[in-house]
Amino acid sequence: MPPRPAEPALRDDVAALLGGYRALPGVRDELVDEHGRPRPHWATALEALARMGREEVGRAFALADRHQRDTGVYYRVYDAGESRERAWPLSHLPLVIPQAEWREVEAGLKQRAALLDRVLADAYGPAGLVRDGALPAAALAASPDFLRPMVRVTGRGAGRLQVYAADLGRGADGRWWVLGDRAQAPSGMGYALENRIALSRALPDLYAAMNVRRLAPFFQAWRGALAAQAGRESSRIGLLTPGPLNETYFEHAYLSRYLGFLLVEGGDLTVRDDAVYVRTIGGLKKVDVLVRRLDAEFADPVELDPDSRIGAPGLAQAVRAGSVVLANPLGAGLLESRALLAFLPALARRLLGEDLKLPNVATWWCGQEAARDAARARLEEFAVAPAYSRAEGWPFGTMPVRVAALDAASRARLDDWLERRAVEVVAQEPIGVSTMPVWRDGRLRPRPFTLRAFVVATPDGWEVLPGGFCRLSDDDDPRSLSMQLGGRSADVWIAADEPVEPATLLPTPDRVAITRVIGYLPSRAAENLFWLGRYMERAEATLRAVRCLAGLAIEHGEAAGPARAALARAMELLAAWGAAAPEAAPERGAAARVIGAALSGADRPGSVLRLASEARRAASVIRDRLSPDAVRALADLSALFERRDANPPGPGEALETADQGLRILAALSGLVQENMNRLSGWRFLEIGRRIERGILTARFVRRFAEPDAPSSCLDALLEICDSQITYRARYLMGALRAPLVDLVMLDDGNPRSVAFQVGRLADHVGALAELPTHAGPFPPRDIVADLASRLRGWDAAEIDAAAIVSVENRLMELSNEIGACFFTQADAPSDDDSVEDGG
Amino acid sequence: MIYDVSHVTTYHYAARVAFARCLLRLAPRAMPWQRVLSHELSLSPAPAETREGDDFFGNRQRAVLIAAPHDTLSIRATSRVEVGERPALRFGGPAWEQVARHALASRDLSGLSPAHFLFASRFAPLLDEAAAYARADFSPGRPVLEAALDLTRRVHADFAYDPAATDVSTPLRLVFAQRAGVCQDFAHAMIAGLRGIGVPCLYVSGYLRTTPPEGQKRLAGADASHAWVAVWCGEEAGWVELDPTNDRPAGPDHVVLAVGRDYADVAPVAGVVLASAPQRLTVAVDVTPVEPLEAGPVAAQQSNDLRTSNQNRKSFTG
Repeated sequence: MPPRPAEPALRDDVAALLGGYRALPGVRDELVDEHGRPRPHWATALEALARMGREEVGRAFALADRHQRDTGVYYRVYDAGESRERAWPLSHLPLVIPQAEWREVEAGLKQRAALLDRVLADAYGPAGLVRDGALPAAALAASPDFLRPMVRVTGRGAGRLQVYAADLGRGADGRWWVLGDRAQAPSGMGYALENRIALSRALPDLYAAMNVRRLAPFFQAWRGALAAQAGRESSRIGLLTPGPLNETYFEHAYLSRYLGFLLVEGGDLTVRDDAVYVRTIGGLKKVDVLVRRLDAEFADPVELDPDSRIGAPGLAQAVRAGSVVLANPLGAGLLESRALLAFLPALARRLLGEDLKLPNVATWWCGQEAARDAARARLEEFAVAPAYSRAEGWPFGTMPVRVAALDAASRARLDDWLERRAVEVVAQEPIGVSTMPVWRDGRLRPRPFTLRAFVVATPDGWEVLPGGFCRLSDDDDPRSLSMQLGGRSADVWIAADEPVEPATLLPTPDRVAITRVIGYLPSRAAENLFWLGRYMERAEATLRAVRCLAGLAIEHGEAAGPARAALARAMELLAAWGAAAPEAAPERGAAARVIGAALSGADRPGSVLRLASEARRAASVIRDRLSPDAVRALADLSALFERRDANPPGPGEALETADQGLRILAALSGLVQENMNRLSGWRFLEIGRRIERGILTARFVRRFAEPDAPSSCLDALLEICDSQITYRARYLMGALRAPLVDLVMLDDGNPRSVAFQVGRLADHVGALAELPTHAGPFPPRDIVADLASRLRGWDAAEIDAAAIVSVENRLMELSNEIGACFFTQADAPSDDDSVEDGG
Repeated sequence: MIYDVSHVTTYHYAARVAFARCLLRLAPRAMPWQRVLSHELSLSPAPAETREGDDFFGNRQRAVLIAAPHDTLSIRATSRVEVGERPALRFGGPAWEQVARHALASRDLSGLSPAHFLFASRFAPLLDEAAAYARADFSPGRPVLEAALDLTRRVHADFAYDPAATDVSTPLRLVFAQRAGVCQDFAHAMIAGLRGIGVPCLYVSGYLRTTPPEGQKRLAGADASHAWVAVWCGEEAGWVELDPTNDRPAGPDHVVLAVGRDYADVAPVAGVVLASAPQRLTVAVDVTPVEPLEAGPVAAQQSNDLRTSNQNRKSFTG
C-alpha cells in the first residue's frame, strides 16, 4: 500500500470543536471535505473559535442576537391570517468563500446580469429573439409579469436591468449553480448589511484577521449610479415600498436610512404633467429615481392592476415620458420566469458568444412539445415547478417538488397539468445543495443553504456585492430547502489573502453635502410623527393618572377618608378617556379594576397598552426616521403592559409598572430630544406632544381644580402635573387653588403648564410658516397667537371651566389646521426644488 | 355602411371629487374593413392633462387627468365610422390542434399575435368546466372554424341573456354555474373555453346597430355597447370575429371599438377617482346609420331579437 501523503495534524482544540462534524452522506460540505478534514480557508476561523472556547463563543453569538433584536430586524410571518413581527434569526457562523473562488462567481454573475439585461431590453423592445426563433413568443406572453403597457417604452432607464439577484447553490460537483433569478424587486441586500454589522461586532478579531471584503463600496457605487441617472444636479431618490405590512418592510426602511433615500409609499406620490412628485409638508417635490420594492403590477392602478390601492396612479405614463427612472423598471419581473432558464444557455451563446459561466439548473419548459416529451420521458428523475410567478390552481406550491416523491393522486394531477396546461410547468434536474456549519447547542452541525448574490448596474459596468444573503434550512435534508418557514440566515465572508481597505458602513460623505433647509418631509411621515408625539404624551398622562390613583388607593386604604373625592375624580377621568369602564363608587376594588384596565385593557382604546401599540404603529411607518433605540423603547413599552394573568395588579404593583412605563417614556423623550435632527420631522413630533400635553393638562385642571375643590384634589393635580417641587419651592403651604392654577395653566416657565406648551407651539408653528407653500394666510399661527394672548391676559383666580374648555377647543382646532395644512394638502408642484433635509 | 356613433358616459358623485385620472378607450380602431372618418372626444369638466397614444394591442387610448373639483363627470365620444364586409369565412381550414400548436410556437410578439391570447387573464380564468364545455365541439382533427361556429351556437343556446343575472364584477365561475349573463359574460365564457383547449381567442368591444322592427322608428339610445370574440384560425385566415350573444359571425353591423385579452384590456372608461362616496353611472350609446339602410344578406337576417349589453353596469375599475 503506498504511503498516504502526510497531513498536518489538527490541533486538539480544533478537533474538539469539530467534535466529529461530518458531511451528510453524498452531500458536499463547505467546512470539511469528504474525509472530514476542514477545508483550508476555514482554518483561521476554526482556530479562533477553538481558542475562544465554547463559553466565549456562546457569549459572542448572544451579543449578535441582541444586536439584531435591538435594531428590530424582522420579517413578517403570515400565519392564520394574522401577521406579526418575528425576530429574524442569524446563524452565527459566516459562510466563508475564498476570494479566488468568488472572482469566478462574480464573473458569472456579471455575465448573467448582462445577458438578462439584453433579454429584457429585447422583450420590451424589438423582440428580435422571438422573431428569430430563439425564444417562443408564448414563453414571454404567458408570464403575468410581461407588462404589455410597458412594451416599446423608451424613456430613460426603461427596459434596463438595474438590480439583479441570483439564488445560488453549490452542487455535489463543487460548482455554483444558479437556482433562480430575481429581478422584480430583489430583497435581502439590507439583511446582508445588517447581518454583517451584527456578526462583525460579535467576532471583531476574527473579522479583522480574515481580510473579509467590505460591503460599503458596493452600496456607494450603487447609490452613485442611481444619482447619476437623475439627470440633474440635485437628485431626489425614493425607495418605493408597499408599506409596513410587507414582509420585508424593515429592509426598505433600513436601506432608505442607510442610503439616504426617501422612503415612500404609492400614496405619497402623485403624477403631474408626466412627472412624479412626492407630497411633502412643503408641497410637491419632484422625484427622479425610484428604487422599486413594490411589485410592478401594483405600481399603477390606471395602467396595471386596477385593484391596486398601493400604487401611484399615472406612474407608467411618467415612465413613458422618461421623467423618472425605476430600478428595476416596470416589467423586469419577467426575468424571474423559470421558463427562461430553459433558454438562457443558448441565449448566452447567441447574444454574448459565450457559454454561461455559472450554469443554471437544467430546465425544460413544457410549453414546447419536444421539451415536454423529453421531460415526460424522465419525469421520475425530475422536479417540477410553476413556470411563472403565478399558476392558478397549481397544486404543489411555488418551490420545485420532486416527482418521485409524489403520491399517485398528486402524480395524476401533474399528468393532467402536463396535458392541458403544460405551458405553465417546467421540469428541472434537481440540485442537491451543499451544507455549511451552524452552531447549535454548543456544537457544529451541517445545514443546507442557498446564497442570494446581488448585482447592480453602474456607469462602470456591473458591480457585485462581495458577500450576500445566505439562507439555511432548519432541516438537514438538502433537497427540501424551505425558506419562509423556520430558516435562519448567515453572513457571507469573502476572504481575501491580502488585508482589505477599511471602509465604513456609516453614511458616506456624499450624503452630508446637502442643504439644510426645512420642508421636504413627506406628508405621511409628518402625520405619523405628529401622532407618535400625541400617543406618547397621552400614554404618559394616563400613566400619571394611574400612578396618582394607585398612590391614593395605597395611602387611604378603603378610601372613606379625605382622599375619596380625588380618588373618585381620577377614576372618572380615566373612564372619560376610554381607559376604563365607569365605576359606581370609589371603593378599593373599583380602583383596582380601573387601574388594571387603564394599564393593560386590550379592549380599552385609552389604555396604555393600546396607546403604546398605536404609537408603535405610527412609528412603524416612519421607521427610517427613528433611531433603533427609539424603536426598541417603544417595543419595551408595549411589552411592559401586556399582561399575562387575568387578575388586575394590586396598587403597589401598578405603581411600580406605571413608574417603569414613565421611565421608558422619559428615555424615549430624551432620545427624541437628543438624537433627532432638529428639522421638520422633529417639529411635527413636538407639535403633537405639545398639543396633547396642553389639552390634557387643561382637562386635569378642569377636573381637579374646580372652584371648591378639596385639597386632596389639588394635591392630586400637583402630582399628575409633576409640579410638586416647583410648587413647594414657591409656596410654603398646602396646595391652594389660585397659585396652583397659575402654575399649571399660566406659568410659562413651568414645562408642564399649558402656557409653556403654547410657547413651544409658537416656535414650531413659526418655523413651519417659513415654508414657501405657507407664505399666505396660515391659520395655525393665528390660533397659537390667540391662545398665547388669552393666557397672558388671564388671572388664575378667575379661570373657570368655560375658559379652560375654550383653551382645549382652540388646541384641537390647531390640531385640525396642522392636518389640513400639512397632511392632506394637494397643491401644485413647487418651483423651489432644492434638495431635502431628510426630515 | 357608415355610422354615426355617439357614446356618452356620465358619472354622478355623491360628494365632490377633487381629482380623477382616467384611461379612455372610446375611439374606434381602424381595421382592414373599418375606417374611422372622424372622432371627437369631449369631457366636462375639461381635463388638465391629456395624453394620447396606441396601447399594446393597437387600440387608441387617451389618458386624462381632471384636476377641477366636480360632482359630475361627463365623457362624450362621437365617431363616424365606415364598416365594410369582413373577409368571407373560409371553411375547411386547419384543424384546431394544428392552430393551437402554431400559436404556441409563434414567432410574433406584437399586439395581435395569437401568443397573447392563449392564457388566463383577469376576467377570463381558465376554468376546467369552461374547457370541458368547449371540448364537446372540438373533436380530434376538426377544422377550427367549424368547431368555433358550433361553440358560438351552443353558447347562444345554453346561456340565457339576462342583464339581471350578472354585473361587471360577477366571476366567470358564477356565469358558468347559472348559465346566464350578458354579452360580456358570453364573450368571456367562450374565451375561457377556447383558451382552455389551447385555441387563441380575443375579446372585441364595440357597437352593434340595432335594426328597428319594420315600420317603427329607431329608438335613440336603445343601442348599447356590445362585446364579442375573435378566434384565431391559423396564419391564413387570421382572426375571425364571432358573436355568441347573437350566434353569428360579425358583419357590417358590428363596429369595432377595441380588442384585448378580456374586458379589462378594453374597458371604455377605466381609472381612479379620489373619492370614497358612492357614484352613479349612466351610459347612452347611439349608432345611427348615415346612409339609407341596405337590405344586404346579413342585415336581412337581423331582427329585433339581437341582444346587446347594458353598459350601465360598467363602472370604474379603480
